[in-house]
Amino acid sequence: MIRSVVALFVFSVLLCGYIVLRPADVAPAQPVGADDLAVTRAQTDTILAPVTKTAELTNAAVIQAPQRTTAPGALVATTDAGMDSTAANVLAGLGLNTAQDTSPTGADPMLEMTTGILSGIGALTGETITAGPQTPEPESDLELLVVKALQEGKNDAYIDAMVNEAANAGTIRVPKILVTSEGHVDTHVLLTSIVTKAKIAAGGEAPAVPERPEGVEVRVVQRATESQQYRFYTVKRGDSLGAIAVNFFGNVDKYKLIYDANRSTLSSPNELRIGQRLNIPDV
Amino acid sequence: MTTRVRIGTATVLAAIVATSSGAQEVQITDGQMVASFTINDTEFNIARVQDNTATLTGEFAQTSRPCPDFCIQPMVPAAGVTPVGELEVIQFLQDDVANNTGLLINARLPDGFAKGALPGAVNVPFAALNADNPYQAEILQALGAKTSETGLDFANARALLVYGNGPWDAQSSRAVRSLIDAGYPANLIQNYRGGLEDWLHLGLFTVLP
Repeated sequence: MIRSVVALFVFSVLLCGYIVLRPADVAPAQPVGADDLAVTRAQTDTILAPVTKTAELTNAAVIQAPQRTTAPGALVATTDAGMDSTAANVLAGLGLNTAQDTSPTGADPMLEMTTGILSGIGALTGETITAGPQTPEPESDLELLVVKALQEGKNDAYIDAMVNEAANAGTIRVPKILVTSEGHVDTHVLLTSIVTKAKIAAGGEAPAVPERPEGVEVRVVQRATESQQYRFYTVKRGDSLGAIAVNFFGNVDKYKLIYDANRSTLSSPNELRIGQRLNIPDV
Repeated sequence: MTTRVRIGTATVLAAIVATSSGAQEVQITDGQMVASFTINDTEFNIARVQDNTATLTGEFAQTSRPCPDFCIQPMVPAAGVTPVGELEVIQFLQDDVANNTGLLINARLPDGFAKGALPGAVNVPFAALNADNPYQAEILQALGAKTSETGLDFANARALLVYGNGPWDAQSSRAVRSLIDAGYPANLIQNYRGGLEDWLHLGLFTVLP
């Protein structure tokens, strides 16, 4: 009897110790448990700040908060293309250039020399060839599809349905971070990213890092001399890595911070699972 | 009839001027005083300095620059390249450059080019043709190469005639080798080893770009 009480006591101590110390070594291969957390968020649709000023994009385009459909998960064709270039290319397709100053400067003597050579040859041949960074043009089918829809003034729900249909049919490829835990394409994040980029290009400020990200779970670990704070997030229905990055960092391109911190449990940015517990690094 | 009279008058006048100054006419070849051609709406005339007593002075009169770096260059810097002299350069300007099927390339660095160049030449410094120029492909395309799935396609590339400062200047040799290393067909490349020095030595006109 005493032995079993002692054994039970030792077991409890070990269990407590395990729970207290666990976050410290969470990054390497921590088994993902959905049920050891009780994190809730009221609505996925409120992850992002309301999209406003969309008329800046194009006179015809009206972007509203998209309604996430709950279509059954399906495999969508993905690409390794980053969101940054995708958003920039869509804007270029709308006639808005977000590229940095591409004029040749003294910073690149070879570009400067090449530009001189090309204009010299052009003066003789009458042909124009330019070197160096080009204004991006929409290239991928996704970009062309979104540009066309925005030009036609389609709303977000339409774009969402259209993009998902095309992605499921395999006719377009989408950036992996736009794939939600259900295998859906997160067009909300795509459109938000486009609007954000357009604002920055128009002289606006980059979105701030949200002070109170939704669904965050904070654990404080006391050590001998210091206390350290860890942040976690549990993947819900409809989450994409891009949306989680916006939630925590205000910027879809910061997804890499989260992805890198969870490589051991996240094989690819489009492999999010509902209930998966993600370690959220500090900025 | 009228035309013939005018030509006759001009000839007589020229003869009088030549006789009165005691100078002999300096033609390019016997019977050709001027070589004219038009490149992209710009007219060029090549003739020679008419002063029979003129000599080179200054930089291009030097005989013994240190080697290295100023070593005697081969006529054919790479296999398959055609060596040419002044008359072929003039013919190339009239036949190929004027018809936009060829380019006369000065391989000197831009500051050298700005001090004087052959009429109708374009400056493509040897350094820019080197593989370590990240924009080398753009230059090759401007010369007439086309992008293809397997890289650059030189099937319809322009004929090139390359020159530098003179027989002791490695810039044209290096440019020719870089072009060939990049895949430019050697049979499209001609090399004028004499360069600016030989051109000036014959009193041929240069231009300031």
